[in-house]
Amino acid sequence: MKKRAITRRDFLRVAAMSPFAGAFAYGYRIQEKKEPTRRVKVVLIRDKNALISFKKPNPDVVQKMLDDSITTLLGEADPINAWKKLVKPSDIVGIKSNVWRPIPTTSEVEQALKARIMNAGVAEENIGIDDRGVRRNPIFKNATVIINARPARTHHWSGMGGCIKNPIMFVPWPPAYHGDSCADLATLWYKHNLKERTKLNVLLMLNPQFHGIGPHNYSDKYVWEYKGILVSQDPVAVDAIGVRILQAKRREYFGEERPLQPPAKHVYLADTRHNLGVSDLDKIELIKLGWKAGILI
Amino acid sequence: MKKATYVAILFFYVGILSLVAHEEACKKPNITNKSSGILFYYDQSEGALMMDDTSKDDKIALGDLLPQEINGWQATGKDEIYDSQTIFDYIDGAGEVYRSYNFKQLLARRFKKEGKPDIVADLFDMGSSGDAFGVFTHDLEGEDARIGQGSTYNGGLLSFWKDRFFVSLYSEEETEETRKALFALGEKVASSIKKEGKKPDIVSLLPSENLAEKSAHYFHNHLILNYHFYVSDENILLLDQQTEAALGIYREDNERSYILAVRYPEGQKASQAYESFMQSYMPDATELGLVQTEDLKWTAARLYQDFVIIVFNAPSRFSATGTIEKVEDRIGQI
Repeated sequence: MKKRAITRRDFLRVAAMSPFAGAFAYGYRIQEKKEPTRRVKVVLIRDKNALISFKKPNPDVVQKMLDDSITTLLGEADPINAWKKLVKPSDIVGIKSNVWRPIPTTSEVEQALKARIMNAGVAEENIGIDDRGVRRNPIFKNATVIINARPARTHHWSGMGGCIKNPIMFVPWPPAYHGDSCADLATLWYKHNLKERTKLNVLLMLNPQFHGIGPHNYSDKYVWEYKGILVSQDPVAVDAIGVRILQAKRREYFGEERPLQPPAKHVYLADTRHNLGVSDLDKIELIKLGWKAGILI
Repeated sequence: MKKATYVAILFFYVGILSLVAHEEACKKPNITNKSSGILFYYDQSEGALMMDDTSKDDKIALGDLLPQEINGWQATGKDEIYDSQTIFDYIDGAGEVYRSYNFKQLLARRFKKEGKPDIVADLFDMGSSGDAFGVFTHDLEGEDARIGQGSTYNGGLLSFWKDRFFVSLYSEEETEETRKALFALGEKVASSIKKEGKKPDIVSLLPSENLAEKSAHYFHNHLILNYHFYVSDENILLLDQQTEAALGIYREDNERSYILAVRYPEGQKASQAYESFMQSYMPDATELGLVQTEDLKWTAARLYQDFVIIVFNAPSRFSATGTIEKVEDRIGQI
């Protein structure tokens, strides 16, 4: 049977009924309003001292933010015990970073993650940090655990660059995923055996980008100091919250509803088409820690 | 040995020779050619990388359009050249935007000044003035910089089009000094492009009344249409690189409406596209091609010669049909 095209009018129908219009046609499921049996946990932590200066994280504060968020996420009082739930001493651990020049993951975040992985018993020589070299890096080739950490930003072709998109460098030819505005990015998680190996997703919201311009899709003008970090074991849930914060910032900044261009449909399709995780906010338990001013969600 | 094996060996050696020739072409100082080696050759007489599909009179070395120095910022490193296959190495997924406008070649040059943010100049040869104009209309936010044939400045990014070129000048941080340098650089580049190009005439079909400032977009395919105004996940208007489309965003009393005009290479294709759109988007339309959508706005569509004209989100049925008629009248004038 020929697939029916989903149109703007489907969106209008759904939007009239659903408070989460962003999900619109892509999921094309009207969620029932009953309490789900199990909710995916996402922790948002913010600290007004997270940045020393524009784009420069405070390493001590970032370490504490990661500790507090991960202990909350995993229900452990002690950060090292929490990390022991993610890695064991025999693991080979790849920290999948992001080196995008205007807003990278930053060495402060990378080293904070690495320190706790070592505290959990993994030898330093079995820990790698990489982005564009993951296909050649022996640590990543043999990694038993991936820690996925990158900043949130709008993206010219996928709508949003987040945790789902971050492993794109495992792919030999990334443009192969550009079809239909990167709709099926989630499939790379299966093709490269990432779903099981990725134990933690860290979506950095320290200074996220809410709008992009020009070929480099960047201007400092559209970055703000949100001073937050989102963590979850579900890459879709963490991105779904990230999208919502970016959209809220766009609404606040532009003074009108300005959806992401293009819509970050890959986040919703990662759930509804590919079952990688959960994008439905009713099925996400968002725990907010720390600084609340300007939280936007 | 089988014939197929001979053919494979022949292709292998032809490939090797092409690569060697390509590498030789790239030995010009200060150029790193990251193009796929398909579209470009090195013109010994003119000492520059040239495009194969440009007539002799139009051959312009992209590097010659850019200065080596501007307001104390010096060109550093090698110029980098990209084509439609390699552009992703430079600007990741944003490359799809330029590919959607049939772009041919990009030259990138970085300028440095001690203690100051870098400036990056990206010079796109789009192959035609229509596509140079089109890619410029992709991102129109900002103040008019009055450079070239149309320009904007926004947050450390100066972009403009002239002739078949689209130019993006970007400072990694915005300061008053970088702003002055970007404007000076823009003036220099624009003055070194001697010719002017023609805007696509389809853009003139958009009525000017209530047209929001800087909101007329020209494009070819449905991915760019969806970027500006989401219509459908499927290509229900049968848009492709040969179709020409103009989208105008109209504002009246805080309400937005949209006019889309698409020209197809032939009437039959337009007719097929109209049928496809009506079936997918407004199967409940009246005989006049009119429907009230779920948000209580009106959408109207009409097939006219080799055009499909659509008005989305009109405040009333009369507004929708009246706007279509205005566009039809203008078609007779282009």
